[in-house]
Amino acid sequence: MKKFLTRLTSVILAVLILAFIQELLMPKYMDSIREGNLVEEYYASNKDHDVVFIGDCEVFSNVSPITLWEKYGITSYIRGSAQQLVWQSYYLLEEMLEYEKPKVVVFNVLAMKYNEPQKEAYNRLTLDGMKLSKSKIEAVKASMTEGESMISYLVPLLRYHDRWRELSGEDFRYIFKKEPISHNGYLMRSDTRPVTVVPDGRKLPDYNFGDNAWHYLEKMTELTRENGIQLMLIKSPSVYPYWYDEWDQQIEEYAEKNGLSYVNFLPLAEKMGIDYSKDTYDGGLHMNLTGAEKFTDYMGGILMETYALEDRRGDSKVADIWQDKLAYYNWMKQDQEEEMQKYGYLKSYGAAAQAIEQEDGGQTRQ
Amino acid sequence: MKKSILVILLASILLAAGCGPGGQAQGDTQKESFVFEYNGVEINLHADAATIIEELGEPMDYFEAESCAFQGLDKTYFYGGFELTTYPNDSDTDCVSVIYFNDDSVSTREGIYIGSPEADVVEAYGDDYTGGGGSYTYTQDEGSIMFVIEDGAVASITYQAIVEGM
Repeated sequence: MKKFLTRLTSVILAVLILAFIQELLMPKYMDSIREGNLVEEYYASNKDHDVVFIGDCEVFSNVSPITLWEKYGITSYIRGSAQQLVWQSYYLLEEMLEYEKPKVVVFNVLAMKYNEPQKEAYNRLTLDGMKLSKSKIEAVKASMTEGESMISYLVPLLRYHDRWRELSGEDFRYIFKKEPISHNGYLMRSDTRPVTVVPDGRKLPDYNFGDNAWHYLEKMTELTRENGIQLMLIKSPSVYPYWYDEWDQQIEEYAEKNGLSYVNFLPLAEKMGIDYSKDTYDGGLHMNLTGAEKFTDYMGGILMETYALEDRRGDSKVADIWQDKLAYYNWMKQDQEEEMQKYGYLKSYGAAAQAIEQEDGGQTRQ
Repeated sequence: MKKSILVILLASILLAAGCGPGGQAQGDTQKESFVFEYNGVEINLHADAATIIEELGEPMDYFEAESCAFQGLDKTYFYGGFELTTYPNDSDTDCVSVIYFNDDSVSTREGIYIGSPEADVVEAYGDDYTGGGGSYTYTQDEGSIMFVIEDGAVASITYQAIVEGM
């Protein structure tokens, strides 16, 4: 008996030590590449959302759930991640249904341009943050590129074991706990870099979306239908990557055929009051805070009208929760403004130093 | 018990140290593929872009796109007749990833330009292509050249470096 207990203790200790080492070596995504935290942050939310957005950086950069709450009393969450592929969106949606059932799911359709797995680095940003589940396993299977292995997603230590060379302060600071960096999945950026030139779309040999992409969009449509959830398709008003008319037409036809609402917000930029010289932080790829708030405000009106959502600002329990979120949002707004004034860029928010014009016409980087 | 802990710690160290650095960084060795020439400047796919851009001179326009999450930018330089796009390799060197023709003022080394008859493409580059009908893609080592055909003529020409994730 004593021998058994000793061995059992050794095994438990071994697991704990390896778990600790794994936690230490896994990237923390706090000082940079903050997008890496978005998927994981969802699990700490209260999971009572009227609307859930899924998709790539065109949702997590361009949509503000706080604005939807403030203006319309809609509760929402963005289950977005960097270059989230359509099959990842599907499995994140499937997994989310284990926790809650929103009235509406909004999917940004840019991801339809990708028919195959793309890059391990982006897979990691979406998949490492998922809790272990059947949905995660299927998402990994659908996403792995050549050379990747399932076991490295189930035991990330096998992937990140050589990060010991790159360990920095953040790996130790955040080993046990991380503060939330998003606002219900929205990653705030209040800096500005205007659109100057945007390349025209290059001619493609084939404008048809691939079978794999369609397969997962169809699964998403079916899954939402089976669960009594409305699915809305959108194209966010980011001007790059280029959104072809041929792609737009395919989505329009699909939406019509399946009784779904689809809105391409690019032609509505002026109507929304979006000024691409002021409302983007990277030359038109993503909205900054003012751009996100304008876009969200406009979209909120469509959501209310199309889906008859309830204004929940009168519900004191819900309002209390969102009051805290609003306070954090306003704090970060203020903090970012102060950083911009102090450093000229969002130093602690993962932004790169921008070149600043000197008085003599030269340029320098901070 | 003490022995077990020691074994675990040793195993952890070996696990961490036993693997070498990641895969070979792109751009570390010279990759061969199609070459575009403009005003006497040879432009190779995967080549260090800085030298090429210096030789080409001031571009007419410039566009950069931060990737969704990573450091480094995809940069596009606009010249008369074509665009040149770069990508940052693992050593943070900007390498040539795409050359895209915008009009018929430039041509490939093999003499094909926007507007060339479809048959000229096959005559110049041969039968070893993928696609056919609407497009012809020829692959050579670490790059490709693609011709999109509309109404029997070349509508676009793209040199593309083969890079993981692009």
